[in-house]
Amino acid sequence: MARIGVFVCHCGENIARTVDCARVVEELKSHPGVVHSEDYKYMCSDPGQALVRKAIEENDLTGVVVCACSPHMHEKTFRGAAAKAGLNPFLCEMANIREHCSWIHEDRGEATDKAIDIGRTIIEKVKHNVPLETIRIPVTKRALVIGGGIAGIQAALDIADGGAEVVLVEKESSIGGHMSQLSETFPTLDCSQCILTPRMVEVLQHPRIKLHSYSELESLEGYIGNFKATIRKKARSVDEDLCNGCGDCQAACPSRKIPSEFDAGIGKRSAIYVPFPQAVPNIPVLDRVNCTRFKAKRKGIEKDVCGKCQEACLKGAIDYEQEDSFVTEDVGAVVVATGFQLYSIGRDQPAGLKGYGEYGYGDVPDVIDGMQFERLASASGPTGGEILRPSDGKPPKTVVFVQCVGSRDPEKGIPYCSKICCMYTAKHTMLYKHKVHDGKAIVFYMDIRAGGKGYDEFTRRAIEDDGAQYVRGRVSRIYRDGDVVKVWGFDTLSGEQVVVDADMVVLATAMRPQPGIAELAQKLSISYDEHGFINEAHPKLRPVETNTAGVFIAGACQAPRDIPESVAMASATAAKVLGLFSADELEREPTVALVNEQTCIGCFSCEQVCPYGAIEHVDVCDVEGHVCGVVARVNPGVCQGCGTCVAVCPSKSVELQGFTDEQIYAEINALGSW
Amino acid sequence: MAATDTPMKPDGFHPRITAFVCNWCTYTGADLAGTSRLQMASNVRIIRLPCTGRIDHMFIVKAFERGADGVIVSGCHPADCHYTAGNYHARRRFGVFRELMDFMGIDPQRVTFSWVSASEGAKWKDVVNETVARVAELGPFDAYHELAGDTVTGGEPAPGPFEAASGAETPDPLEELEVGR
Amino acid sequence: MKELRDLTRKLLADGDAGVVIGWEEGRRGARPAFITTPDDADKLIFDARCVHNLANYLNPRKPQVKALGKPAVVVKGCDAKAVAGLLREAQLTRDRVILIGVRCGGVVQTPEMPAELTEATVATRCYGCDVREPKLVDHLVGDARPEPPVTAALDRRIAELDALSPRERWQFWTSQLAKCTRCHACRQACPLCHCERCITDKTQPQWIESSSHLRGNFAWHLTRAQHLAGRCVGCGECERACPVGIPLSLINRKLQLVVKDLFDYTVTDDPEVPAPIGAYAVDDKQEFIE
Repeated sequence: MARIGVFVCHCGENIARTVDCARVVEELKSHPGVVHSEDYKYMCSDPGQALVRKAIEENDLTGVVVCACSPHMHEKTFRGAAAKAGLNPFLCEMANIREHCSWIHEDRGEATDKAIDIGRTIIEKVKHNVPLETIRIPVTKRALVIGGGIAGIQAALDIADGGAEVVLVEKESSIGGHMSQLSETFPTLDCSQCILTPRMVEVLQHPRIKLHSYSELESLEGYIGNFKATIRKKARSVDEDLCNGCGDCQAACPSRKIPSEFDAGIGKRSAIYVPFPQAVPNIPVLDRVNCTRFKAKRKGIEKDVCGKCQEACLKGAIDYEQEDSFVTEDVGAVVVATGFQLYSIGRDQPAGLKGYGEYGYGDVPDVIDGMQFERLASASGPTGGEILRPSDGKPPKTVVFVQCVGSRDPEKGIPYCSKICCMYTAKHTMLYKHKVHDGKAIVFYMDIRAGGKGYDEFTRRAIEDDGAQYVRGRVSRIYRDGDVVKVWGFDTLSGEQVVVDADMVVLATAMRPQPGIAELAQKLSISYDEHGFINEAHPKLRPVETNTAGVFIAGACQAPRDIPESVAMASATAAKVLGLFSADELEREPTVALVNEQTCIGCFSCEQVCPYGAIEHVDVCDVEGHVCGVVARVNPGVCQGCGTCVAVCPSKSVELQGFTDEQIYAEINALGSW
Repeated sequence: MAATDTPMKPDGFHPRITAFVCNWCTYTGADLAGTSRLQMASNVRIIRLPCTGRIDHMFIVKAFERGADGVIVSGCHPADCHYTAGNYHARRRFGVFRELMDFMGIDPQRVTFSWVSASEGAKWKDVVNETVARVAELGPFDAYHELAGDTVTGGEPAPGPFEAASGAETPDPLEELEVGR
Repeated sequence: MKELRDLTRKLLADGDAGVVIGWEEGRRGARPAFITTPDDADKLIFDARCVHNLANYLNPRKPQVKALGKPAVVVKGCDAKAVAGLLREAQLTRDRVILIGVRCGGVVQTPEMPAELTEATVATRCYGCDVREPKLVDHLVGDARPEPPVTAALDRRIAELDALSPRERWQFWTSQLAKCTRCHACRQACPLCHCERCITDKTQPQWIESSSHLRGNFAWHLTRAQHLAGRCVGCGECERACPVGIPLSLINRKLQLVVKDLFDYTVTDDPEVPAPIGAYAVDDKQEFIE
């Protein structure tokens, strides 16, 4: 039998001014199940809470209703008080007679009647409240970081330095990402590799970081604190344990004219290769698509062809028969740091993008993109840092830089601003002018967006100190005319058409998410926007979390980001991960869904609507142990308690604790006594 | 319940409105209305749910059965759902249920569906006042309350199933239309 | 017919199926038949009187059928939609049933009627049929049949109801639902009402009053319709089963139209297409929301 205590708060005059608290106490005293009813001036004060505690102890209450303010205000307070008196905190509820009553009505009689109604409703609810226990979930203090660019590296190092283990997965044969390809970085013009490679080495040497290079996430199971990641280690054809990185294989390889991905296609590499000298790990990978031996095999030639790398390797590390292998890692959190790719200026465009045929489609060799320019300007690049144009290797005397190629162009499929291009174009003009002193740098821009510490000053420097010529307007057409590249543009400030005979054109192409992001997002049950960038849980307040608890994001996988932002975001993510790992167990509100497996028919309507993937399939066995059905079960570690599953369950076989059908039914019924 | 006159109530009729609202947007918006001291009609009783996704059509049916003259269902605006998509699911279900109620003769004007965010205290006030005014205009929902003889609102017992089947006293406006078989 | 009977004989003789569920001649027209031996295959018939939705026998609530072994079921297009529903809702796996599709030219309203299809005899569900040749089948038998006669009677009745005031509709439905005795034949006859414990049988709390007064009846019929929204295949078995003649097809058809209008969704016999309730689109219609 219910023994409910009712506590009516005056909130000073806030409630008492319009609600006759004494009448509320009297009316509710006679409500069935109520054994104690009293009022007090400030129920949330220490003496007020003491009244609640005393009443619980003296009257052996089975439920507490505090008629006071909004539960958002003081539910925690009074549940705490109830717990102190030995009553399960979830047997205490607030009846909101302040925000929803005394403050919004003037008529004392009406407000008092309504307050009594509200009290009755909550009393009836509390009669059906049951004790709930806080959910505790163990946490594996180990993080999986996907992507070994600067964001992934920073996140991995911060987490590992914080004391937790890290598994870092990189799809390429070396970590470093796009940052390792850059020559210098804005706004300081410090050498990208000089600041990055020490961090890469740190990753390799860190006792708590385990690196899987040339690997990808195959699948992820489990939930926050308790994920099981399966990682596909792609066949490298090189035994990672045996290889000592001497480079003999690379030197022996006869296929040497393969466009180097690291050099953005303007340099060459061999079929077995490390992408760049400072690669981490310094273990080559055999490109089976371009290797003579594998090409021959694909053509059906039985005999073994080539094999020069194997002959050259004194360690016997080359393994042509190697196959993809799988490892599983138990982790408690996942960080997605998969970065970006550039809008392709080539002929082939993914669905939804139209490309820039009018800019040469990549047919004109001296029309290059920003990353190719980085490689031309880089001391480690194919030209040793000399700016030479791809077609004939001559130093270009006039270079046109076109901003917003792809970005802010809904017609071409990308409406957003890629954010970094204004800055890197300014940087490019400076790098160019520093190397080709008599050269002319012309920039076509829509707007200059240089928000950031030292950013505007940087673009000013490009214009004022280094003499870059900025033309406000779009370029309509770029084509080859003999030795020169004709650039047709329009200067919107002077209102004149501009035609430039350029030696080389650099297109500042848009940032796009990595290919395969949709598949990865599906594996992680996280969402992405229409462009493929991962959605954060809240754009302002939860920028590094996703809607799947325990999965975090860092860097350009979420939106176009520059290096400082990616690093800041990675550190923020690391703080979130370390926060998650700071306790041995996660504590969760027990207001989660619970399936009645006796009546569940396993239609999985609940699974269809669950935003968190919290529904699991459980076999039901007969007495002999044979599987005779499948029912749903809610993983309390994943469930966030929205209750959407309850509403769609046709047989009402799932309940939301704290908001059960019985509780709501009782509330609706209580209103019937108006 | 005893009632006093306010301008919201023509003919002394006090509509009884049950509101089912989500915890994160509308409930908090109603809190804000309180904090802002926005005065509104006192006819609405709020039942707090975590999300509109939790709200079952049965709640509406039961509220009418138990004497409500009108119902409000309110939650987060699209894209604002605390749980990502609960409101989208609710929108589909209630989009259908509203049509179903209408088809079965429950005037859809008795049920208000709205999005009220945590910052829209003023909108909550409007939703409350407009719903109360509209339902006051429609009058008491005795038709529903009196569906069964043991109705909580009292009044004349409704005819038993077989009495009604004989149909002598209940004029069937569709007899000529041959809507039934 | 021969094709169907030969196939049945073969399925049973080879042991591929334990029972072939189809139709046979009964005392009062066509009726469901459960053929378990090849010798009985010749009992099978298929004509316009074969109105029954045999998908109902695949419903997991039917242990008697389960006991006969792996079923092969003869399905018309509309029946195939119901099978797809069961597959979609994980009540059946495709490998546990053999589906024999029949090319259909429409059916009459009740199995007792003569097989002659006219505008007056054709079942209302055949109007606008888009699955006269079911796709979700292992075997497809029978010759293509002519289009059924057009009858938009149901839609016409709905339009008439829609034109009334809510109060008049209320009077219509209360007079109809007052007849309901809550025998739940509509539920039993429905191939997609597959809950082990129906919500109307739940007592803690009792959302739907079980006694047959109008209040409980209203709650039941609103719930039945709402639960079937976007799932109902329109086979009309509920209405045919109703002993007091409540025009349930009006409600079901109305919701089909609503679902089509709101979500541009039509129930199909493709189990991979998700049901509209449980899915959503960010830009779903929301004019009804203030």
